[in-house]
Amino acid sequence: MPDMNSLAHPQQHQFNPYTENGGTILAIAGEDFTVIAGDTRQSEGYSIQTRYAPKVFRLTDKAVLAVNGFAADGNMFVKKVRQRLEWYRHAHAKDMPLRAIARLIQTMLYARRFFPFYVYNILGGIEEDGSGAVYSFDPVGSYEREACRAAGAAQSLVQPFLDNQIYFKNQTPAQDTSHPVHLPLHSVLALVIDSFTGATERHIEVGDGLEMYVVLARGNPALQSLQDLPGAEEVTGTQAEERVFVIRRDLKKD
Amino acid sequence: MNSLAQRFSTTSPLAHFRKIQRLADEDEDVSDAAWGSQAGFGSLTKGVPTFTVPNLPDPTAFLRLHTDDHADPNCRIKIQHGTTTLAFRFQGGVIVAVDSRATAGSYVASGTVKKVIEINPYLLGTMAGGAADCQYWETYLGIHCRLHELRNRERISVSAASKYLSNLVYGYKGMGLSMGTMICGWDKTGPTIFYVDSDGTRLKGDLFSVGSGSTFAYGVLDQGYRWDLTDEEAQELGRRSIYAAGHRDAFSGNTCNLYHVKEDGWRFIGNFDISKMHYEGPGDVPGAPGGGYGYALRVEGKSSANPPVAEAAA
Amino acid sequence: MATSSVYTPAGFNFSNQIRNTFLQERGVPLPKATSTGTTIVGCLFKDGVVLGADTRATEGDIVADKNCEKIHYITDSIRCCGAGTAADTEFTTALISSNMELHGLSTGRKPQVVTAMTMLKQMLFRYQGHVGAALVLGGVDATGPQLFTIHPHGSTDKLPYVTMGSGSLAAMAVFESGWQPNMTRDDALNLVKAAVAAGIFNDLGSGSNIDACIITATHTEMLRNVETPNERVQKERRYVFRRGTTAWKTESVRKLIVNEETTIIGGDAMDTS
Repeated sequence: MPDMNSLAHPQQHQFNPYTENGGTILAIAGEDFTVIAGDTRQSEGYSIQTRYAPKVFRLTDKAVLAVNGFAADGNMFVKKVRQRLEWYRHAHAKDMPLRAIARLIQTMLYARRFFPFYVYNILGGIEEDGSGAVYSFDPVGSYEREACRAAGAAQSLVQPFLDNQIYFKNQTPAQDTSHPVHLPLHSVLALVIDSFTGATERHIEVGDGLEMYVVLARGNPALQSLQDLPGAEEVTGTQAEERVFVIRRDLKKD
Repeated sequence: MNSLAQRFSTTSPLAHFRKIQRLADEDEDVSDAAWGSQAGFGSLTKGVPTFTVPNLPDPTAFLRLHTDDHADPNCRIKIQHGTTTLAFRFQGGVIVAVDSRATAGSYVASGTVKKVIEINPYLLGTMAGGAADCQYWETYLGIHCRLHELRNRERISVSAASKYLSNLVYGYKGMGLSMGTMICGWDKTGPTIFYVDSDGTRLKGDLFSVGSGSTFAYGVLDQGYRWDLTDEEAQELGRRSIYAAGHRDAFSGNTCNLYHVKEDGWRFIGNFDISKMHYEGPGDVPGAPGGGYGYALRVEGKSSANPPVAEAAA
Repeated sequence: MATSSVYTPAGFNFSNQIRNTFLQERGVPLPKATSTGTTIVGCLFKDGVVLGADTRATEGDIVADKNCEKIHYITDSIRCCGAGTAADTEFTTALISSNMELHGLSTGRKPQVVTAMTMLKQMLFRYQGHVGAALVLGGVDATGPQLFTIHPHGSTDKLPYVTMGSGSLAAMAVFESGWQPNMTRDDALNLVKAAVAAGIFNDLGSGSNIDACIITATHTEMLRNVETPNERVQKERRYVFRRGTTAWKTESVRKLIVNEETTIIGGDAMDTS
């Protein structure tokens, strides 16, 4: 029987609606394409909840969103963003441009400033001027356009690798040459795969599968090579000029 | 029981919060149609931000529990901190200079942050503290500065704009907002700087520096500041001060963004790599002394680590 | 000979304990010890005992060693698998191994597995769980095949099949469904491999390869990396950096050989043809 003392005072239990579900996401913008990737493992503590839980989602034919952190918040957030994009389509009879989606995500995240979504977002896609773009967000909506960004469990393993290979940090170019500003698609895909196989080796929460979304700007010459790539699946929604592909790879399962 | 009592009390933080929203609702009466669709935009459904709050007796404690990494380094939601920003007034206008590093604990989350927020062509805001808080509320301030222009057929004064922001964040005092910002611009009264922070402080002044590296920046700034600096000298002083902070403060660094506000609005002077400034200098820009800011040049051939050539040969 | 005037007691040094507790209260995290997140198992069969272990060592979320050895030597016919703090398991088993050798020499007999078990549990109990070693001890002696688990606080179990570490539940599930009395050597090895594999694939703290050790009355066979189900795939690109990639501030070339002069004293020069 509960003692009278505890009944006299209101009892409050700690409210903890958050957990960390592991995994890593990453996006790299090229000149006329963007690659957005994530592993498919979802874990809690030392247990694997599922080996296939997508963290990367196609929003429109030129926008792909990757979410990482607390999976329940992430899935709900993607659902809400998609709903808002659909409303926009009904109101304006066109897809929302990428930079507008980025601002939309900021206001949606900031609306929960006092009860945050525990989600790190990376938005990738094609801008209205046809250039590849990556926007990265913190959980309460601060955002920035970048050329590449890794987030999640293995961000501290992957981001330094990307800084070295994409931004050529700590690499001095040879005499009378300069580093390329943009890398071609096949190099970017190779770097993404190596980032994830490397992270799988050294981070226990990364593994099982890899999903890479490729968004191509209209008239991208890499289109043919991507259509011929075994295992690349086209997921373009409408007859848009931008094309979206998914490439899936296995990662180690230990 | 407890939560129910709190929900209807007039003194709990939640009640206080509801009061703010009610006041905001009364203050502005914009119809949904103004936004082009029923959906509205983000949290600005009624033209006034609305916020979801956890249904708890003390939502502020909840937020602190999950976001305050000073109290608990293991808390899940990392909010970006660490910065050096400065602004000063002089004969030729206002110089605004900031670093570009964002840190989450000991991790450098980004080295390319834009810490100067371009509110409109005549107003700049700087960013220190919560990145999202600064970005969001200064963008929101931009909306209201434009509305002021449309309603009054003249530009808002820096004083009015900063007071609008100050009153706004004061309404959320104790709720966990974190911002330390300088609102800089040129209005009828000339070049003006206001320091506004989330505690509710609002100060007018000639020279401010905000953030973890501010002490380093002040050191250089105070030593080189005069009212009659030329434009070039002033730009160099701003750049050199951010360099000093980036060099000595672990939570500041990467690059320096430099702005100059004049009578006809602000102008972006440039982005300068801090380690490049250390070794090679800022490059071919007006006001630069030539050579790196680091003291390698000044000790060459003089120190024991770098002995004079004649002595080494002997 | 001069001796140090400072008194140094034998055993663990606790001189930083108060400072570290103070720092911990101030929110300074203690350094992470390498831990073997680990699946370790053992089971009896017809004429001996099989031990098994994965080979992943972790530091929090990070894999510190992809191919470490968790089956430690005690005597020729006794082995011990360790889970928990890597340093603790390694040093306790090494200490007990030394003492077992001395014990064998002083008694003139092959030491028993229970002896090692008793030494281990007495040591772990003395340190009240602060020595974080969770062990699976197995071997064959005059009394036959023996298998024990020893928990960090010093309690022990004697069972026909045992598992330990973060992957113990996954591995035990395999044992519970597959273990039978009087199994053959091959069946027992396969069961142990399956149990460790269950830990490797379903527990994030365990991974990489399988080590096994089969101990019978006459022979001990250590099967290092008996299975390697997690080989690294080939990288997509080669990461070779051009000479001169790293920036440098100054350059100074020093002659290592200052001067060498050969003087031939008398006779012919050495025939170097």
